[in-house]
Parts: sequence; structure tokens; C-alpha cells
Amino acid sequence: MSHIHMEIEQLSFSYEKKVPVLKDISFFAGERESIGVIGANGVGKSTLLKLLVGLHLDFEGSIRIEEIPLEKKTLGKIREKIGYVFQDADSQLFMPNVFEDAAFAPRNYGLPEEEVNRRVEMALRAVHIEHLREKPIYKLSGGEKKLASIAVILTMLPDIILMDEPSIALDPRNRRNLIAILNQFDHLKIIASHDLDFIWDTCERTILMADGGIVCDGRTEDILRDEKLLEEHGLELPLSIYRNNHAGYAENANI
Amino acid sequence: MSNISRTIYEIQSLDALAKEKRWINELHPLVKICVTMLYIGMTVSFPKYCLGGLLAMAVYPVILFTVGELSFRAGLRRLRIVLPLVCVVGVFNPFFDREIYAYLGKVAVSGGVLSMVTLMLKGVFTVFASYLLIATTTVEKICYALRMLHLPKLFVTQLLLIYRYIGVLSEEAGRITRAYELRAPGQKGIHVKAWGTLVGQLLLRSMDRAEQIYESMCLRGYQGEFYYGDKIKMRGRDIVYLCIWTAALIALRCLPVTEKIGSLFM
Amino acid sequence: MHMADALIGPAVAATMYACSGVAGGYSVRKIRLENDPKKIPVMGVMGAFVFAAQMINFTIPGTGSSGHLCGGMMLSALLGPYGGFLAMIGVLLIQCLLFADGGLLALGCNIWNMAFYGCFLGALLIWKPMMKRGASKAKIVAASLLGCVLTLQLGAFSVTVETFLSGVPELPFSAFVAAMQPIHLAIGLVEGLITAAVLCFVYEVRPELLWGVEAEGGRWTLRKTLSVFGALALLLGGALSLFASGYPDGLEWSMERVAGTAELEAAGSVYERAAAIQGAASLLPDYAFQHSDSMAGTSLSGIAGAVIVLLLCAGCCYLFKFFKKNIDHE
Repeated sequence: MSHIHMEIEQLSFSYEKKVPVLKDISFFAGERESIGVIGANGVGKSTLLKLLVGLHLDFEGSIRIEEIPLEKKTLGKIREKIGYVFQDADSQLFMPNVFEDAAFAPRNYGLPEEEVNRRVEMALRAVHIEHLREKPIYKLSGGEKKLASIAVILTMLPDIILMDEPSIALDPRNRRNLIAILNQFDHLKIIASHDLDFIWDTCERTILMADGGIVCDGRTEDILRDEKLLEEHGLELPLSIYRNNHAGYAENANI
Repeated sequence: MSNISRTIYEIQSLDALAKEKRWINELHPLVKICVTMLYIGMTVSFPKYCLGGLLAMAVYPVILFTVGELSFRAGLRRLRIVLPLVCVVGVFNPFFDREIYAYLGKVAVSGGVLSMVTLMLKGVFTVFASYLLIATTTVEKICYALRMLHLPKLFVTQLLLIYRYIGVLSEEAGRITRAYELRAPGQKGIHVKAWGTLVGQLLLRSMDRAEQIYESMCLRGYQGEFYYGDKIKMRGRDIVYLCIWTAALIALRCLPVTEKIGSLFM
Repeated sequence: MHMADALIGPAVAATMYACSGVAGGYSVRKIRLENDPKKIPVMGVMGAFVFAAQMINFTIPGTGSSGHLCGGMMLSALLGPYGGFLAMIGVLLIQCLLFADGGLLALGCNIWNMAFYGCFLGALLIWKPMMKRGASKAKIVAASLLGCVLTLQLGAFSVTVETFLSGVPELPFSAFVAAMQPIHLAIGLVEGLITAAVLCFVYEVRPELLWGVEAEGGRWTLRKTLSVFGALALLLGGALSLFASGYPDGLEWSMERVAGTAELEAAGSVYERAAAIQGAASLLPDYAFQHSDSMAGTSLSGIAGAVIVLLLCAGCCYLFKFFKKNIDHE
């Protein structure tokens, strides 16, 4: 896993001709980075992630992953490197049970059945859900579904993981569990969320988006402590920082 | 809506039942489908006055209910849709077919009554048979058997997807209707004004979901072809099961077994 | 309108399975030719949607009763006839397995009565020609109403014909038809209105989802329409004439006659073998009252025998369970 990086230059995109969703976005994401993309609802976070895996190809500007430009020809190759975790786990997990779903990708890449099995075992172990292997998807809880939807992309051995609102509808324990698991991964991670506490706990770098463009790109610690900046763009301080600020021991916020 | 949540519950409990580890659940799905179809075919093919022979066909459900340790009551509950229909058709038989066919003691039994009773029994037995299939075989295994029968993969995959998303979309339908009912108390169903928008919303959400599912497939290397893994092996006991039931059912249907046994005692 | 297994005979069931199978195979081929990988997930989810939407009760104004959505017409307006047909088969199969709504043996009939008419006739003869020059709300309402009423009428009539060909009801054919058709006219109207309401909503919000609207290529000419109607008339005529042979078991009766004459022409060992095959084959379409003389006399002992067999069998099962429990305990 060397030289993993992603380079986005002057990326613009619109669904309909006149309404731009993304405007002139440029950033560089390097090896082992984990980047939080934050912003209020509807600023184009999800669209940005979708563009990065090539779900829409009619964009302007360029996206390069490990020096390979993202275009129709290279789509298959690039998608093998990237795992995308959907916001709605029910849409992501379409097979009858966890094993079948996790095996979907490696089987599509034509791997022999022992290798498929090995990879599924590995992926389930990575998110600690080996015991759910044979469980039908409808029987999974919200937290288990989220972990399963991470496992099913790990079977592709991706270099890059993109996540859209991973913490939505998770209870505190599942949330903590997910944070711990994500922090163990050494993939390049890009997490889109408006759950700033979650970003605080998982990402060192944050990109703040507003109105389809990047407002600010820097260390999470700096951006998420900037109350004025956040409020200007429809966000609020992470709860943990807010509480610490007002209790007067902001120094200990970074737990 | 309680109706919808009951349906979801029913689907899930059937699935759980079929996933239990009993020997009858472990039999090869294709064998069970064959026996079930053969049983239904044989049962239905009995002449309309042949009550004795038909009664003996109860052997199959009786054995499977007890040996498979399935709830007989759950089987009875499944009759609620089919039986009224069959009764409506059968109930006219006594009026149109009044020829006396047999005497039970001193009571004359007309052909119509006899044919009504056999029709209803057929209804009960066939429903039991399909319940015995689905209560011991998961839909995924049935789909596997369908692929063994060379049904197109496209169709079977679609079937699996329907089954996978029935629960998800029914829950969504339940939420939408519950939200409607809470704001329209005392209404029995959905008012005419909301017909289009309510179901339309559900439809658009479903379409969006289909789009996402497709994206999820594409991102994991899908190119129009589905691959399935583990094979279910046909074992010795599957073949024995198939042979025994085939022989027994054909014997019950074609040989006057019950009459022979009955005449020993009468 | 889901038919139960008890209402049909094996011969009719097999015939209808074959007919539905041919239509299904044709649809699969058509879908494969379209070569749109997105079609499969959309078909699957739309099938599940119809399943869910059919559980919703709609109040019919002015009455206390409620109606449901018509799946076939809805699916074909969204997926086209072929995708709609396959999704409908999926829905019917799952309804029959999970809810005993319609039987396994009768599945072929149910596919034909509900999916084939709704998807093929509804989509190709009504929806497509009407939407060819662009859609409008009025056209959608008209097409949905017409489609639902027509397909339900045909479906109800087919149910009647199929049960009569199987020789199940003693009720006169005309009485059955007179009961079935008006009921299904009312149901068709209501289902048509619900379907129209939903499709109009889709047309307003996301018109691109509707199938066959302003579709280019594949012109629908008068000749094509006429030939389809002609084929339909032949089909219906064939079914009717079979029925009109005056015997409820027309189909099987004529089959047995064919088999019977073949038997007579054979001789010697060939004859015996043919007889054996005929015996095995006639086992399925068996409605002839072979034992009608002896039946009255023996049926009582037959019933008694059956009861004895059942008691024995239940006893054995009970013993089996008893011993199994003991073994489990040890």
C-alpha cells in the first residue's frame, strides 16, 4: 500500500445544466490520511463522494487516483481501489445474507472460491462480525448493518475508503465501536458527515464545504474549534468541545 | 398499519422456521420441491367422488407435520385465503348434483356433497403441502433449486432481490400509511385524494433505492452477471427420501390401497 | 383472483405452466437483448414495491369497502411488458410460497391470468399505442382504466374457463361467468383508478420513469394491431370451442380419446407397453369415472381404510416423537 493518493483539480459538476452542485473543488489526499468532509445538508458532500468513485462521469476538471485519471476506460481499475460505504446500508447490502453479500465483489473479480472465503473471513474479522456470517440481512441491527456494509467493501482490498454519513442512526455504543474500528484502518479515508463529533474522533484533517465549494481545508482541531466559521456555514461546534469550552477546560478536549 | 407489520412478521418467522436445523430442513431443496409438486399433482388428480383415496393422501401432511415438528395450527392459519375461495366454488355442488351416490348408514349422500367434500379436502391438503415446503426450505434454497432446474439466472436473481426488499419496502409502506393514519383518524383506508401522492412517494423512493442498489453493485464489479457460491450437494438420504415418497404417492393414487385395508376390517 | 390448487386439474395446470413458461422465456430473451445491467435491480425492487403497495388499503368513496393496486399494469407502465412480466412472476411466486395466496400447481394459471394479460396486452395493446405520441394525464387515466378493466375481465374469464376445463364446479358455466365478470368489472375500475392516480403522480414528478412514452423506433402499425387482435381471437376461440364440446372435461376427454385410439392400433407386447404408458399417463388427467359402478359400493370401505392408515401413521409418528424425545433427554 504505497503511494496511495488522490488528486482533485478544479472539479465542477451539475445534475441539470444551470444548477451547479460542485464548483471548482481542488484538493490532494495522501497516504494514510483521514479526511472529514463537513458541511450543512445539501452542500454537495455526497455528490463529491459519488464523483470520486465515478458514479457520474460528466464532470469538469480532473480526478486522479495514483496518477490514473478517472474516466470511462479506467473505471474498473479505479473502482477496485476504492470502497464506498453508502449512507443507507439496506441499499448497499442487497444479497440474502452477510456472507453472500461480502462474497459479491470478489466473485465478480473472478477469484476462486477459497480465495473468496479467505477474503470474507478477513473482512468480517476486521470489523469484528465473524459471528454474523450466515445471518440474513434483515435480521441485523442498525449498527451491525453498518459494520457489514464496511466489511463487504473490505473484501475488495481497497486502498481508499469513502464513507457517506457513517454515523447516522447509530446508538452511542455502536458509534464508539465504529470509531475504534475506523481508527485501526490505515487506508486513505474520506468521510462525509455533518456529525462533527464523529469527524473529531476519526479525522486529522477536515474540509469544510459550503454551497458546492471548499471554504476551508485544514487540521480538524483548528476548524472544529472555530465557532464563528462553523456557525457561518450552518454548523455548530462539536458537542464535546462546546461542553469543554463552557466548562472551562478546553485544554482537555482532545481525549 | 398493523396489517403490514403482521405481514412482515409472518415473512420473518417463516424464514426463521426454515433456517432451523432439523433434518427435514437439511434435505435437498430440489427433492422437496419435486415431492411437493408430485403430491399436489396426485392429490388434485383424484376423481371428484373418490373420497376414500383422497383421505389417504393425508398421510403426507400428517407425517411431515409430526416428524418435521411443525405447528399444525400455523398450517391451519394459512388456509384463511384459499379455503373461502374453494368453498364458494364447492358449495354449489350439492345443489346441482343431487344423484345419490352412497349411503352412510341410513343417510343418503349425493354426488354433490361428496364432490364438495373432496374439493375442500384437496384445498386443505394442497395448502398444507406448500406450507410444509416453505416452512422447511428458505426462499434462497428454493431459488437455488430453481437454478438447478435451469431457470434463467436473470429471473432467479430478480426473485432474490424481490424477496430481499419486500421487508424493506413494506416497512416503508407501513411508515407512510401510519403517518397518514395518525393525521387522519377514523378513516379505514387511504382517501381518494391521497391515492396518487402516497403510493407515488413510495414508488419514487423505491426507484431511488433501486438506483442506489445498482450503484452498490457496480462499485463492486457487477457487469450484468451474478455469481453464486456454495453448492448444495445431493446426498444419499435425499435420493432415498425422493424415492420413498414417489413410490408411496403413486401407490396411494393408483392402487386401491385404502379399499383393500378397509375391506379387511369390514 | 389467485387460483387455488384445488380448483384446477393437472392437465390444465401443466398447459398453463407451459404457456406462461413460453411467455416468460420470451421475456427473458427480450430483456437480455436490451442488455441493460440496471434492469435486474430495478425489476427486483419494483416487484417488492408492488408487493408492498398491494398491502395498502384504499378507501373507495361512497362505499365502505377498500381496493388495492393493480400490479401488472403498474409494472408494465414502469418497466415495459417484459420486465414487468418477469417481476410479476416473481411477486406471484413469492405470494404463493409465503402466504398461500394461490397454489404452487396453479402458479402457471395465475401467471397467465394476472401477469400475462396485464403486462403483455395492457402494455403492448393499450399503453404503448396510446403513449406513442407523448403522454398526458387524460391519456394515462384512460389507459390505466382501460388496461385494468380489460386485463381483469380476461383474467376472470380465464379463471372460469380453467376451472371448468378441470371439471371442478358443478355450477353451470354461464352462471359462473355471470358472477365473475361483473365483480371483476368493479374491481378493475377501482384498480384502474388507483393505478391511474399513482402513474399521474409519477408523470408529474418524474415523467422519465414511465415506459414507452415517446419511444422511438418499433412503430405500432394498424396491421400489427390487427394481427395481435387476430391471434388473441384465435386463442380465445380455441379455448371456448374446447369448452363448447359440451363436456366440462373437454380437454382431457379429447386427450384420452386420442390416446385410446392409439392404443387400439397397437398389438402384442407393444400393446401392453403402450397400455402401461397410457395407464401412467392417464393417471394425471384422470377424470373419467373408471370405477363408477363399483365406486358406490367400495367407497365406504375405502374411507374406512384411509382412516385406518391415517391412525396407524399418526400412531407411528407419535411413537417416533416419543422415542426421539427420550433419546434427546438422555
